[in-house]
Amino acid sequence: MSKKFPPDKQNIISFSLMGPESGGPCLVDSNDGEITRIRPYFYDEEVRETCNPWEINARGKTFRAPNRVTITPFGLGYKSRVYSPNRVKYPLKRVDWDPKGERNPQNRGKSKYVRISWDEAAQIVADELVRIKETYGPEAVLCQADMHGEGKNVSPSHGCPNRLLSLMGGYTLQMRNMDSWEGWFWGAKHVWGCEPVGEMAPQANLFPDIAKHADLLLFWGCDPETTPLGVVSHLPSRLCYWLSEIGLKSVYVCPDLNYGAAVHADKWIPILPNTDVALQLAIAYIWITEDSYDKEYIASHAYGFEKFKDYVLGVEDGVPKSPEWASEKCGVAEWTIKALARDWAKKTASILHGNGGPYIRGPYSTEPARLEIMLLGMRGLGKPGVHQAKMIEWNLWNKDYPVPFQGEFVPKMPHICDALRPVDGDVDPGINMKRFVLSPDQEKRAPELKELFRQHPAPQQFIPRTLIHKAILEGHAEWYGLQCFSSSQQPDKNNYRKPTSEYQFEKIVYPREGLSKLHMMWTDAPCQVTCWNHGNLMMEAMQHPDIECIVAQHPWLENDCYFADIIFPVATKHELNDLGNDMSSGAFTSIYLEEPCCEPVGESVSDFDVCARVAEKLGREYYDAYTGNLTEEERVRFFYAATGCEDYMSWEEFRKKKIYVIPCKTNTEELPAGLLGFYKDPENNPLQTPTGLLEFTSTAIEKHMPDDPERGPIPKWIEAGESHDERLSSKRAEKYPLLCMSNHGRWRMHAQCDDIVWNREVETMKIRAKDGYQYEPVWLHTSEAAKRGISHGDIVKVFNERGIVLCGAYVTERLVPHTCYVDHGARLDPIITGKLDRGGCINSITPTSQTSKKASGMAVSGFLVEIERVTDEEMDGWKRDYPEAFARKIDEAAGVCLAGWLMGEDEEVM
Amino acid sequence: MAKAFVIDVARCSGCFNCQLACKDEHAGNDWAPYAAAQPEIGQFWLKLQENVQGTIPKVKIHYIAKLCNHCEKASCIGACPNDAIYRRKDGLIIINPDKCTGCRACISACPYNAIYFNEQKQLAQKCTGCAHLLDNGYSTPRCVEACPTDAMVFGEEEDLADLIEGAAVMSPETGLHPRVYYRNIPLKFIAGTVYDPVEKEVVIGASCRLNSGGKRWHTVTDEYGDFWFEDLPVGLYDLVISHDGFEPAVFNSLKTGAAINLGDIPLRKKE
Repeated sequence: MSKKFPPDKQNIISFSLMGPESGGPCLVDSNDGEITRIRPYFYDEEVRETCNPWEINARGKTFRAPNRVTITPFGLGYKSRVYSPNRVKYPLKRVDWDPKGERNPQNRGKSKYVRISWDEAAQIVADELVRIKETYGPEAVLCQADMHGEGKNVSPSHGCPNRLLSLMGGYTLQMRNMDSWEGWFWGAKHVWGCEPVGEMAPQANLFPDIAKHADLLLFWGCDPETTPLGVVSHLPSRLCYWLSEIGLKSVYVCPDLNYGAAVHADKWIPILPNTDVALQLAIAYIWITEDSYDKEYIASHAYGFEKFKDYVLGVEDGVPKSPEWASEKCGVAEWTIKALARDWAKKTASILHGNGGPYIRGPYSTEPARLEIMLLGMRGLGKPGVHQAKMIEWNLWNKDYPVPFQGEFVPKMPHICDALRPVDGDVDPGINMKRFVLSPDQEKRAPELKELFRQHPAPQQFIPRTLIHKAILEGHAEWYGLQCFSSSQQPDKNNYRKPTSEYQFEKIVYPREGLSKLHMMWTDAPCQVTCWNHGNLMMEAMQHPDIECIVAQHPWLENDCYFADIIFPVATKHELNDLGNDMSSGAFTSIYLEEPCCEPVGESVSDFDVCARVAEKLGREYYDAYTGNLTEEERVRFFYAATGCEDYMSWEEFRKKKIYVIPCKTNTEELPAGLLGFYKDPENNPLQTPTGLLEFTSTAIEKHMPDDPERGPIPKWIEAGESHDERLSSKRAEKYPLLCMSNHGRWRMHAQCDDIVWNREVETMKIRAKDGYQYEPVWLHTSEAAKRGISHGDIVKVFNERGIVLCGAYVTERLVPHTCYVDHGARLDPIITGKLDRGGCINSITPTSQTSKKASGMAVSGFLVEIERVTDEEMDGWKRDYPEAFARKIDEAAGVCLAGWLMGEDEEVM
Repeated sequence: MAKAFVIDVARCSGCFNCQLACKDEHAGNDWAPYAAAQPEIGQFWLKLQENVQGTIPKVKIHYIAKLCNHCEKASCIGACPNDAIYRRKDGLIIINPDKCTGCRACISACPYNAIYFNEQKQLAQKCTGCAHLLDNGYSTPRCVEACPTDAMVFGEEEDLADLIEGAAVMSPETGLHPRVYYRNIPLKFIAGTVYDPVEKEVVIGASCRLNSGGKRWHTVTDEYGDFWFEDLPVGLYDLVISHDGFEPAVFNSLKTGAAINLGDIPLRKKE
């Protein structure tokens, strides 16, 4: 037996892929310096006896916290990720990029890479930073730091470049749009406030309340078996089984029989993508015409209901939003619409989400999001059992959680990096900035961290992530609102930017007066082309001659990395020291010590150290200021001190036990569930809307943009508009007659984990076609496949005006006709860069425009495409015309890989 | 005493953790003499099979984890000319990679297609029940431990008697006494939605009577006009849907070789 028992090492490492928070712990065994296995973490008897394991009691049954972390496919498969042939093993330079000569920006995404030394790579980047700053000013550098990398704390996956650039005097910040919450943020917020993101808040005590009082669960575009996996665990799955067991009925409204519906649905109502508005309006129509909504509640809790009612009944526009009208738009039979409306009217129902997915990430997603809140309002929102509840991120922005696993003590984990920091002047202490400074308590507990957390000036300029490509290509961009997640653009007298929906009406322009346009990009989140809007346009932007240098730092060579001039190799968290914090996996909260399971692969170092090495080249003073003169191990030690956990477990004991499981808070079932306070007494518990009421007519929109045809004061059905023309009724649909739906993958976390070789053997992850290549599946209904002569497993092209994406046909009854479905996040494998992709990167052809003209979100699901079978002649033609693309090495198990992008002689070094 | 697996199909969410955990334990990890390393891809010592039944919108999915049945009368043992396959005291069947010559006789002899051939190493390979872990202090195989919904249970066959009661095994006709038991494997279904085509309303409470060779089933349509007859054996069925004031709808000789979705069924009002 080549491996030993017990293993040389057993470490605790997180599996979450969210960004700063670590998520659930796994047990990682190593032998002879290599990872042997990854298992779920078990809570032993002692923990279960002393840590008040939570339970939910309802209808004579009990739902208990599991005795372990319910590990996800990402956690289980991570060994394949650490040792992926896709790893960046050493610093790379694009072969035809010469900082002292010809830069060949037009070849980004095409030309290959050569290995260079760490010394050379760090020196080149330091020199470029200084040159760009001196030539154009610091804002010429765009920092694309973001979220949803590995959950790391002392050397975070995202934001390290921001720290260094702040030290150098500033940069232009890439501002993340509200990608998980678009419809809620730009729409629902104007109905019910619910800061910071427009999903129901608070979420306290929701599931115990639902279990006791609801009898109908509406999973509206929600897949509880998929979306929570990268963030939570499988606990939502267990919860769904239990809620069914105690008698709650589950109705799924979604275009696809998603993985949750597949095993939990009592009823699946298939609906055409991005047409929920029609169904919602028809439900309101039935309730109004049959007088079956809660009129008393509306009288006391709502504002502007009459105008909404007039629109629904057709008084305003002559079109009653009847089931007959809606059926044609949304594809749900008239009788089924009526049945749903009546069943819902009779029962106590909550709506469940995994944040919303495609339902709130399509064109004009403000409208379904707003209507959902209004429908809940017509049913007495806040009443026991009537909620909008989340199956994901139970800890996010919640003091008390919807599933009662919150600890009686919350560790104060310092956040070292400011990937999402607001721009100049924004010091809103309530939401974001607080995370990135050392609080007085933390400083008292860990004074050693003071220097590391010294605050540097905030950036002066920013661009929404949805507009980077346009900003570069057109040299100009303008938009409304969109600041750092929740904070306002207009500081109050104390210079605080309070969370308010008001700032959504402020117009912002790039470049700011007196500040430079972009000339350099530095990314630690290289997934723009596969996760954002119109990836092909982004590829064109990255080839623009204005952009003189692109730097990427990442563990894997993928997606935007192919456009970088210099790539730094980053170690995965299994190779580093860290302090993990699990606030989300749902059994218990905990803090745990993460230690290296193996040596860093190749010459990779942590994200923190990548920037430290560049800082070193800038000068000793930069290095000292950047690192605070603390090593990784020291940061772990002092971060632990800062959390306040030492009051409960000494550092010595923690080092020995490696984990401190925090006892669950007791008596959480006594907390008011959700918006109960507003339900009971709206006057004394107002919503965060201008009127304090549920606004069926938005007073803010009425005041600032009353005539916006794409987001008026009342949510409407928008057939087409200035921003989007993505309906089956469109003239475009003659050429592109399928509505493409795109969701989070079950086997990936956004762009992460596309290379886990064992996941790739699952047929809904990849389809190995006759040429041996593993294509990304495109789901297509049996009837649509038959129309096009497509068989299961065929290589097909999914295309529109924006480009072509090759996929493998997954012919199924799990999807409504007139549509197709491709998960986002498959790794780019360009045949013609910016035009034709073999990797299944569907976001390369998603719409360019934002949610709507004045809502700065992205629309990446529910857009028109056509699908055709790729003939042998067509494929042979591409092979003939683009031989270099087909000559790139593809790993049989893992797909695209480092060797494919290295110049020939370097392949031997692998 | 013998180890057995009990799998509750109704609790399986299809997350594939079992299949993936098996890969994590065995792919690239050499556990000889229990098993040589499994190739990186291509072998499935535990394979989760997805079964999609019906047509839109009456579609149901269930997943069945398939692995070596560790049969009491394992046919592979006798088929091996080199005595490379043996039963442990705990009942688990092991192919000793040091003795296997790659003759493939066991692969032909196994009615469950549970044995794979490693071309590179010229070895027959399969599930070991993670015996190497059980012998080193672990209480369950990796697949069972990784199951997030507790759909898989592993233990002494005797101790699992309550769960095994009424459970099925794959291909019982082999008579090999397989020790992987399945609960709640769904059979076929007949389903549909009943509506009034004039009023454009679903018909709630319609009586649905199903008959197959004298055996009868009865249900009524629910709030959505839906009826479901689940767990039907393969056969020929006659269905009558009736409701006060409506002409009945009759379907004869429905064949449940596959699940049947009768779609949206119009029920006409009597003249």
